[in-house]
Amino acid sequence: MGIAEPPRAPELAVALSPKSREGAGGHPPSRAWRFGAYVVLIGYALLMFVPFAWTIVTSFKTQPDSVQLTWIPNPFSTIGWEHMFTELNPPIQVLFFNSLMIAVAVTITNIAIAGIAGYAFARLRFPGREVLFLLVLGTLMMPDQLRMVPVYQILVILGLINNGPTNYVGLVLIMAAQAQMIFLMRQYFITIPPDLEEAARIDGAGFIRTFVQVMLPLASPAIAAVAILTFQGAWNNFFWPLIILQAQPHWTIPLALYQFHAQYNTDWPALMAVVVVATAPILALYLFFQRYFVEGIAATGVKG
Amino acid sequence: MTATPAVSPRSRPPRARRVTEAFAGYGFIAVPMLLFLIFNILSLGYAFYISLWKWGILGPIAFRGLRNYQEIATDPIFAKAITNSIVYTIIVVPCQMALGLLLAVVVNAKIRGRTFFRASFYFPAIMSSAAITVLWLFIVSPDGLFNHVRSALGLDPLFQAFGFGPGWDWIGQVQTALASVMVLNIWTTSGTIMLFYLASLQSIPGELYEAAAIDGANPWQTFWRVTFPLLRPGHYFVAAVSVIGALQMFDQAVIAGGSVGAPDNALMTIVLYLYNAGFVQFNLSYAAAVGIVLFLVIFAATLVQRRLLGGEAAW
Repeated sequence: MGIAEPPRAPELAVALSPKSREGAGGHPPSRAWRFGAYVVLIGYALLMFVPFAWTIVTSFKTQPDSVQLTWIPNPFSTIGWEHMFTELNPPIQVLFFNSLMIAVAVTITNIAIAGIAGYAFARLRFPGREVLFLLVLGTLMMPDQLRMVPVYQILVILGLINNGPTNYVGLVLIMAAQAQMIFLMRQYFITIPPDLEEAARIDGAGFIRTFVQVMLPLASPAIAAVAILTFQGAWNNFFWPLIILQAQPHWTIPLALYQFHAQYNTDWPALMAVVVVATAPILALYLFFQRYFVEGIAATGVKG
Repeated sequence: MTATPAVSPRSRPPRARRVTEAFAGYGFIAVPMLLFLIFNILSLGYAFYISLWKWGILGPIAFRGLRNYQEIATDPIFAKAITNSIVYTIIVVPCQMALGLLLAVVVNAKIRGRTFFRASFYFPAIMSSAAITVLWLFIVSPDGLFNHVRSALGLDPLFQAFGFGPGWDWIGQVQTALASVMVLNIWTTSGTIMLFYLASLQSIPGELYEAAAIDGANPWQTFWRVTFPLLRPGHYFVAAVSVIGALQMFDQAVIAGGSVGAPDNALMTIVLYLYNAGFVQFNLSYAAAVGIVLFLVIFAATLVQRRLLGGEAAW
């Protein structure tokens, strides 16, 4: 079943929960079909795993050893990992902190904005609601790249393109409100039965109290999905930090990978160690909260 | 998912309550609407405005009319960029759709370990583009895993016949640079497309398969006569998302080939051209004009697709 904790709260996305409609495409389980299916599955799974295993193995090799086809590092070396602290500018711990701070800030703003606005679009009645909601969805049609120059110019006007810490404010502002997250929250709020809300109103609770005390706790599965998808999106984002972050000490891990690869493109052990560090937090989230990734993507229909 | 009507049948509340509700509603959406207004809606008009000027870091310098667009139209590097982006899209989109559909069909069947396989196939899609691109550059480098493995499998004579010697630099040579990035992106996006198709597949009623089985259809016939045609809305949605994504390819190109799309513009794409003009050469108005052209290209591609596939817009 779904990810819902409270008994009344419906599932985030029924479509992809494992037990719903299991094998709806239920082909007759012929032996040949099954064999073919396993060949595809295992073959493709190998294509997925071998490169990542290779990344980890290489990060413990020395530079000359890194270009050999061997699966056991010889000699075993942590020089690549040390280079992340000594050769990278800024060093890896600073990059990690920058990436984390930006991702957390973007996650918090998205939860707040998508939660509040999603509730309003789902439940509160006001003139022009449907038109405004279509406008929000319309922003999805607009490629980020088209916005590259005007957004940069607007941030210049707002004084947020600089070498100081307010440079981060500009970056977070651009990613603070995302249409697909508002959409996800709205769709979830719509499915919550209205009785509880009505009861709270009859008890004299205002709109804000009803939202905070009654609706928000019921929406925790959707909030979790928003949190995970926005954290992942912000942590991985390459494009906006590249345009907006001015000072090198403010860089994030993806930006450093770009720069580091251009600079030391043969120091594969160190580069692979950075790839591991860039991937590890997302991999950990994925292992524990896989369902939120999968259902969130399906529910929004847009890659996070 | 389609939007369902949000209004539930309720008794009509008193006027005062309706007014408060409306105010609460506007208050609740004020912040995101302001951000969308500034960074999306005004941006579009602002981009067009900037594109009509000669524009410095601090603002407009001189009015140029449509001359930026004229320059774009006559620049051979832009022609190269748009060719690369279109070739890339025409090859990558069908490949990633076919692969994503194959994976979805296989993962959707009643077999052991389907959850595990689904999770592993989606994994590359959760990695950052920078990380997976650097990993890929390592694999296809002259001393990389790919060249080693093909040697170990005894495939060198085959590759040699096409002119790719044992230490071929896949990303560094003009003939194979774009193709290498294509393979990378087909690989990394297949998981996302699999998820989209899975959602579509599960909306097909099981009775249809039972009927097909009773009629004695084999899996191959069932797929082509039942599954594939019924996935039509799914095809349209996946194609639309994929084409827009492919026309915007940038991260992989700039990481592999720098802002000039090395080697010899082989990796120059429309967005890389835009980035290079705006943020390497700091010709912001020219870059804004490229952005408008990109928007028109994407718009045209969407119209062409709608013609070909006859579907409705997915959002």
